[in-house]
Amino acid sequence: MTSAPITASSPAAWLKQTAAPWRRLTILAGLLAVADVAPAVGFAGGLAMTVATFGSSPLAAVPWLLLAVFSLMARGLIGQAAVVVGARLGRSIKTDVRDRLLADLFGRGGRADDRLTAVVEGVGALDGYVSRFTPLKMAAGLSPLLIIAVAAVASPFSAGIFLFTLLPFIFGMILAGTAAAGESRRQFQALERLSGLFVDRVRALPAILAFDARARTTADIARASDELERRTNRVMRIAFLSSGVLEFFSALAVALIAVYCGFNLLKLLPFPAPETLDLPRAFFVLALAPEVYQPLRRLAAAYHDRQAAESAVPALVTPESPKRDRHILPEEAPAIRFTKVAIAYGEAAPVIADFDLEIRPGQIVALVGASGSGKSSLLHLFLGLSPLTAGEVEVGGARLSEAGDFAGQIAWASQNPIVVPGSLGDNIRLADPSACPGRILVAAGEAGLFGDLDRPIDERGGGLSGGERRRLGLARAILKRAPILLLDEPTANLDPASEEAMLDLIRQATRGRTTLIATHSAAVAAMADRVVRL
Amino acid sequence: MTKTPSSRIGELIAAQRQAQRGRLRIAAAGGTVVAVAATCLLGLSGWFITGAAIAGVAGSAAVQAFNYMMPSATIRLLAILRTGARYIERVAGHEAALKALARLRPQLFDALASAPPAQALALSSGEASARLVQDVDAVQTLFVRLSAPWALGAGAVSAAFLAGMASPLAGLMLLLAMGLSAAGSVLIARRLAAPAGREVQIATGRLKDRLASLEAVSPELKAYGLDRWAASEAAHTASGLDRAQIALSQAGGWMAAWQATVTGLAVAAVVPATLGASLPMTALAALAAVMGIEAAAGLVGALQQNGAAVEAARRLDALASAPSLASSPAPSEASLVLSADGVQMAPPMRLGLIGPSGSGKTTLAERLVGLRDALAHEARLGGLDIAGVAPDDRRPLFAYAAQDIRLIDGTIRDNLLLAGPAEDGALWRALEDAALAERVRADPAGLDARVGPNGERLSGGERRRLGLARAYLRSAPWLVLDEPTEGLDPTTEARVLTALDRRLKHSGQGLIVVSHRPAPTQLCDRVIRVEGIAEDGKVRLTVTRQLAPV
Repeated sequence: MTSAPITASSPAAWLKQTAAPWRRLTILAGLLAVADVAPAVGFAGGLAMTVATFGSSPLAAVPWLLLAVFSLMARGLIGQAAVVVGARLGRSIKTDVRDRLLADLFGRGGRADDRLTAVVEGVGALDGYVSRFTPLKMAAGLSPLLIIAVAAVASPFSAGIFLFTLLPFIFGMILAGTAAAGESRRQFQALERLSGLFVDRVRALPAILAFDARARTTADIARASDELERRTNRVMRIAFLSSGVLEFFSALAVALIAVYCGFNLLKLLPFPAPETLDLPRAFFVLALAPEVYQPLRRLAAAYHDRQAAESAVPALVTPESPKRDRHILPEEAPAIRFTKVAIAYGEAAPVIADFDLEIRPGQIVALVGASGSGKSSLLHLFLGLSPLTAGEVEVGGARLSEAGDFAGQIAWASQNPIVVPGSLGDNIRLADPSACPGRILVAAGEAGLFGDLDRPIDERGGGLSGGERRRLGLARAILKRAPILLLDEPTANLDPASEEAMLDLIRQATRGRTTLIATHSAAVAAMADRVVRL
Repeated sequence: MTKTPSSRIGELIAAQRQAQRGRLRIAAAGGTVVAVAATCLLGLSGWFITGAAIAGVAGSAAVQAFNYMMPSATIRLLAILRTGARYIERVAGHEAALKALARLRPQLFDALASAPPAQALALSSGEASARLVQDVDAVQTLFVRLSAPWALGAGAVSAAFLAGMASPLAGLMLLLAMGLSAAGSVLIARRLAAPAGREVQIATGRLKDRLASLEAVSPELKAYGLDRWAASEAAHTASGLDRAQIALSQAGGWMAAWQATVTGLAVAAVVPATLGASLPMTALAALAAVMGIEAAAGLVGALQQNGAAVEAARRLDALASAPSLASSPAPSEASLVLSADGVQMAPPMRLGLIGPSGSGKTTLAERLVGLRDALAHEARLGGLDIAGVAPDDRRPLFAYAAQDIRLIDGTIRDNLLLAGPAEDGALWRALEDAALAERVRADPAGLDARVGPNGERLSGGERRRLGLARAYLRSAPWLVLDEPTEGLDPTTEARVLTALDRRLKHSGQGLIVVSHRPAPTQLCDRVIRVEGIAEDGKVRLTVTRQLAPV
């Protein structure tokens, strides 16, 4: 589970803070939701006058009938405008949040399946909140009062009934909302768990198949799936119950108005009549009655959007990355000095502790040692992908603790280089987008990649053999103008003959750079100027 | 037993509908009551007020004659009925859908896992999760909306009936308007909502895939300063999803606008049609027209999600429709013949496979253990051509430690128990033989230490040894180890191999070891060199060392 610290005091505050830059669009969306009041009043008035005049002269009813019809059409168009503005608002805010998440995901590194869920599902949960809930919230605050004010013109007493019934309505909404919030959060967590479980088990599918563990794994998934069902069910019940209560109040209020108006017209009220109604007024108030509660009911229906968004917030918060000065490394190979370096991930015991090493400019150093001894972690230090818990790494004159990382200024090759859809040349060019075709050709040649650089390669590395993939990684390292070369197990899973061929190429790539190689291979270690056993 | 591609997911959904039919019927009944009650409530209120106004104007005699008790009581009853029925409809409908989805997910996972290996293992995990979580969610509407036609029908009939009481022509007009409303909504749904809904599903899967593949290579991205590039690549993919979502919202907006317009038209057509009827009946017909169109709103909502549901079902179908192999004979014994070699091998024989990288050693191992579709005439297993033996029947013969060890995100114990139920003692012995016991013992959580997603809390060598221990726990005739000591230092490698030798002597298992390192193959009776993959896809072999059978 992600337990990123929340910078703002609560999810609600974070959401508000995130939406702040889009204030004007937010207000516009809210105003459009409020604008819905005008056609609602127009329709109620038109219908009331139609019914009132239709009996005596059907022709006189025509303008009123037209008013009712055009009001409804206007209502549809205003609604569509609200959708368009809401959708744009949603896209803007989602883009903002997603960009921050992506920058953190790729900038801070590390594995993060739950962060992948955050980028897709978590960000998606914001959409309903900003495009529906926020405008409806504004409408819920204003529209009922506006409609009641209009109703007061026709029948002040009915307006009083509206106001009076509005209070328990709002109280009920708050009660239901609070009860649902906790359940909704738990439901979101269950969904994340299920999603993570699928990702994990599909990744492990070869092992599951090989060990005939399909039935057991399916049972695991059925359990998580059942749990999600139970949680969702609880959330739904609460949501439906609260919307049922609201609907009941609104239906009751409509009935109350109908009965009051009817008895007033019949002059049968059990108390002194506060006002004299006629048919158009009574009908107008009756037609307005559902509209008073409509904005609040819509808000209640969108309440789920708010809960989904608030539940998603903890996964969406990105830690504030400290502002650092970018250190530009010199062009010539630098000296590197590790002083009392420690690397510890989270609370776990340090992988590396009290590590001292001095490397002269241009030296090749092989880091060897048992698996898990921290070879890769030392290389990742330069990229900011492993934490410098204590000590200092000095590269030339720059200190790692101040620079944070030297990302973008390092040549890197491993056994599994990134492959993007495109040509082989495009893939090499990734290391230095400014490189001209000539330099790419040279780099490819020096890495032992011959033949057509235009041949297409798909994302899964189709069209490249295992050896060619490694050479692609090496070609990038050669192309990159960087004073430091880091190699992570460059020859793993190669047979001795292929390894020997790679070694010559690697030797070429190390010229003029300070090189660190993490390796198990004795042959690779033999190539180094110095071997450091961890 | 091959099933047609279109039927598998349909069958699963139909089976769930059948299982949930009680709840679905309740939901439909609830929906029907809601629509009728809502229509009658507003219509009756309008009639009541208008009637009251006329009676009030006409004087006290008319007031006395006006029956106000029945309508006012009915109005309250309808209000309560509508609320209660709506709650029942929603709870029953959603409960049915949720229960159905909860059953569908494991069924789909099982279908995916049972597919031929080429298909089952081709799916990226991000894509699989998108399908099993989101696509299944999108299918939800196929259950929830089942009550919509009932509600629509009941609302339409009661509204037309009420309007028809004012004048038959008004009833007819209202029916026409409702038909127009439904036709327009269906058209908008087909033209706008369905394509947008499909695109949302597709774009979501695409985004998840892109993220997963970029995230897997983050160190290299960081080294070349490509992290921003990767973020913008992902953002670009995400913007496609945003566009599809906006299109879907707008389609919904158009449907609502169409509804409002048709409501206006319905009122405009129904009111003049009541000419000659009493005024209260005109009021009743006008309000019935409004409610009649609103009854269609439930269907409209379902239509908006239809595109997504259909696309989701189509994608799930591609996942689940894997034709299962016709039942084939299972091998009764564990003898193995590689056709290019021709010698019959059986446990406790030990076979080494060597050869340059990329020559097909792993491919051959995966074909044997049922993780890859086998070719005809390449090998015989228990006397049968391997291509005729279903992967499910091949797997029990082998305990496999792959080169690329896949671990589940759980504890050390969870991962070991993937091999089958075992006592803690057996787990520790396996860890001991894989030279991992010390490391596990050093962890305060011991066997319950979590390995993290993808085994990230373990180093590469530890993962490999955990995979080895897991293979040891499976008592299959052949132990197949692909590069078992890669990434281990020479001391650990020697320990692992000594324990392996001892273990094999004790268990009598056969060994097939794939390695380019000399040490593991020194345990073997026969060593075969894999030369490469021929044009017909078969692996080419030469025997390099043949010891006398033990």
